[in-house]
This record gives sequence, structure tokens and C-alpha cells, in this order.
Amino acid sequence: MHKFFALLDKYLIPTMTKLSEQRHLRAVRDGIISTIPLIIVGSFFMILAFPPFPALAAAIKPYTGQILIPFRLTMGLMALYACHSIGYHLAKSYKLDGVSGGILAMAAFLLTSVPVTYPDKGMALLMENLGGGSMFVAIIMAIFAVEVLRFAKTRKLTIKMPDGVPESVAKSFEALIPAAVIIPAVWLVRDFVGFDIHHFVLELFQPLVLAGNTLAGILVPIVIITLLWATGIHGDSVVGSVARPVWLVLLDQNIAAAAAGQPIPNIAPEPFFQWFVWIGGSGASLGLVLLMLFSKAPYLKSMSRVTLLPGICNINEPVIFGVPIMLNPLLFLPFLLSPVAIAILTYFVMDIGLVNKPYILVPWTLPAPIGAYLATGGDWRAIVLVFVNIIIAAALYYPFLKAYERKLSREGMAGELEEELK
Amino acid sequence: MKLLLVCSGGMSSSIVVKAIEKEAAKTGQVVTVKSVGSGEFAEELKNGWDIALVAPQVRHRVAFFQEAAAEYNVPVAVIPPQGYNPMGGAIILAEVKKILD
Repeated sequence: MHKFFALLDKYLIPTMTKLSEQRHLRAVRDGIISTIPLIIVGSFFMILAFPPFPALAAAIKPYTGQILIPFRLTMGLMALYACHSIGYHLAKSYKLDGVSGGILAMAAFLLTSVPVTYPDKGMALLMENLGGGSMFVAIIMAIFAVEVLRFAKTRKLTIKMPDGVPESVAKSFEALIPAAVIIPAVWLVRDFVGFDIHHFVLELFQPLVLAGNTLAGILVPIVIITLLWATGIHGDSVVGSVARPVWLVLLDQNIAAAAAGQPIPNIAPEPFFQWFVWIGGSGASLGLVLLMLFSKAPYLKSMSRVTLLPGICNINEPVIFGVPIMLNPLLFLPFLLSPVAIAILTYFVMDIGLVNKPYILVPWTLPAPIGAYLATGGDWRAIVLVFVNIIIAAALYYPFLKAYERKLSREGMAGELEEELK
Repeated sequence: MKLLLVCSGGMSSSIVVKAIEKEAAKTGQVVTVKSVGSGEFAEELKNGWDIALVAPQVRHRVAFFQEAAAEYNVPVAVIPPQGYNPMGGAIILAEVKKILD
């Protein structure tokens, strides 16, 4: 087992962390994370518009359109917000002006849409081109715009202002030449050549989005995230920087279907993992913490008392580093098997329609039963499923925890660790 | 002594902040401890810190944190994994002492 951890340390960790620390992916991650408050508050209006209680839902029905407006202008324009933020973070990483990067990215992205004219109302941009479904276009255009900005800066293709001009004014002129390149370039490609960037990118990433929604597409990120955490690396943050754009597209399709009153298509947007798999944190460790409450090993018992509350809020670093699970050959197997087992179960339960598929993003620090209930638009069966999953995880941890307890008492380590902590 | 903790989102490190404060109060040390997520780290450094402590689960980003902290001459250390829990205050304070002395 130690050899196995050494292998992970040698191959998986450096590859995955290098990937997630890649400059552009990092900008995508930080950019998307900045939009999460808007997504959470925005999708909260979905719950308001379609409350899980039939009587209330009927009373609210006439106002659904108005209630959904904040949702449509936040979540519904997610790619636009993310594009600005990705441009900002990427420019910052090159030590360029963040705001210039952000607005150039936004301009490049907006130019990929063609406004529509309504005779009596004027011109309009179609919102569907600015929502989560266009996330990949937003990412590509943000990268394009900031790379032009960087190219201009490194080749000194900027308009220099004389000394004494305020810095903010000088900075805005630095973006002048890049803007003069970016805007005509996208305009020519989109409006003269007539190349539909949205359609092309959608087709290009379609296989990835489809794959992300299969059972394999669920298990691969789960296994990688768990392997990373088993060596003490923040797996969700690493894998999330690569997978989150796909999860967001899946979420966007779900929420659009829900708002239109159609059946929810996808099982695997991020709330699937958050509420049904990572119960108590990665490795579904809440099951383990609950067992530890009754542990005979004093060290594990006192550890369970201080990790229970964070665990209910899905924060489990204290468990991973405290118990520890990290590099612990005895607990590694259930740490990997529990999330895999409950993910497979949840996938099939949702596939046959026993529990609603998730379509609402709620803050990840809520207790899992509440989060699962809200994420599925108020499906009480989701709560039952969460409790079943906790029991399955606990059952898988149980024999291994017993073995770990025996090891602790045999080595007299429990007391020693206890002393160290006093 | 001013300690700045950084983790991924600033959630788990806030638990460790409490652990450090508790231990400091017990041993009569005066400390200011704050936790931030990776995204806020560079911004927060401006406010003057004696040491930046990186959570073990983001240790793969330590070079990135060091680069940001170098600008303000703030030393950066990775928190030992066994200290990163609600009972690990003593381990962390001992580590900090070792580095700053």
C-alpha cells in the first residue's frame, strides 16, 4: 500500500496538479468561481418560482414570469459574467491590467452573437447565447482577447501616454491597440465570413458534455478526486478546474428545462456529487465520523466530536488530516469505495426516475439532506436517498475502522496521539 | 504575531484559525489569525503579516503562494498535515515558532 501511495505521489499528483495550475485553466477556475454567488442567489429564485409545495406553487403560478427575472439575468447570463471574470484573472496572471482583460474578453464574446432586430422594439441580443450553454465560447474568447492584449504588451504595441497622465487613463489606452485587433477580427469571422462560432464550439465540446453525463463520466472524476485526497491534495479544486465548465453546461441544460416545465435531462451536474456523493466531504466521510462517535479508541472518539459539525457542513479536512485518512492504508479502501458505491446507486436511482435529477445550485456548506432537497427542486425522496447513502458509506467504513482501532490500541498510538494533542 | 492562513476556499482554514486562537489563549500568546481562500491571498498580503501558512491540501500551489508573498517579504510555510484539525493548534504554533525564531 505504501508503494501505491508512492506511485500516486510520483505520477498522478504532479500530472493533475500541473494541469490544474496551468495558467489558462487556473483563470477559468478562478473566473467561474467568482460567478458562483450569482448562480446560487439566481437559482434560488427558481425555488421561489416553483416551490415544492403544490398549494403554494399554484398560488404563485401567475407571478412565475416576474419571479424568474433575477434568475434569468444572473444564471441566464452566466457565460457573460464568467467571460469578464476569466479575462480579468488571466490578465492578472500575466501582470496585465485586469479590468482591460475583462472588458476585452467581454467584447470578444459579445461579438460572437448577432443582434436580432424587432421592428417595434429595437435590437436585442439572444440571451441563450450568453448563458451557461455558451460557457466554452466565453472561455475561448476570453483567452483569445487576453492573449492579444499580452502580445501587444510584450511587442510594445501600445500607445504610450506622456508622464503626468493619470495611471488609470494610461492603462485604458494600453488596451486600445488590442481592442482594434480583437473587435474587427471577431466581427470579420462572425459577420462577414459568416462562421457561427457558437454552433462550432457547441459541436466541438458536445462529446465531452455527453460523456460527462454517463456513469463513467461520473466515476472518473470521483476516483481521481479521491486518489488526490488520499494523498492529502485538494482533489475537488484540482479536478474541478478541468471539469467545472462541463458540469456548468449540464446544470444550465437542467435548469433551462426546469424553467420551461420540461423533464430534467442530466444526472451529473456538480450538485450530484456535492449532495449525494461527497456527504460530509470527499470520500463521503460523514459515515466514518458518525461511526467514530461510538469508537472505543479515545483518540478517534475525541476526534469525532470536533469533526462532526464541520462534517455536517461538508468540510472534512479535519477528518482527512486528523484521523488521518491521508496516507492511511487501512482507511484508503473505504475512502475510495464509499463514494464509488453511492455514486453508482444514485446514478441508477435518478436514471429510473425514483429521485429528481439535481438542477439547482445551493451553497455547499449546507447539511446534505437539506442541500439535496433544495438541489432537486424540493424532492423529499432525495433526503431518503442521502440517508441511505450515509448508511452505505458507514457500512463500508465499519470493518476498516475496526481494523484501524485495533492497530491504534496495539501500537499504543491512541494514547500517544492523545497526549500530543493535550 | 500575525498569521495568515490560506486554503482553497477559506472554509477549512477558518476551523484551524479557531484552533490556533484557542491554543494561543491557553499559553498566553498574543496572536492575530485570519484565513483566506486562494483567490484572496495576494490581496490580503498587503495588510501586513508575519507569516503565511498554507493548508496541506493546497501544498501543490505553494510556489504560487510564495511568489505572491515574496513581494511583501512574508515567509511561507506549509502546515503539517497532523496539525490541520481542530485540535492541532499546538502543533502549528510550535512550527511557526521554529520558523520565525
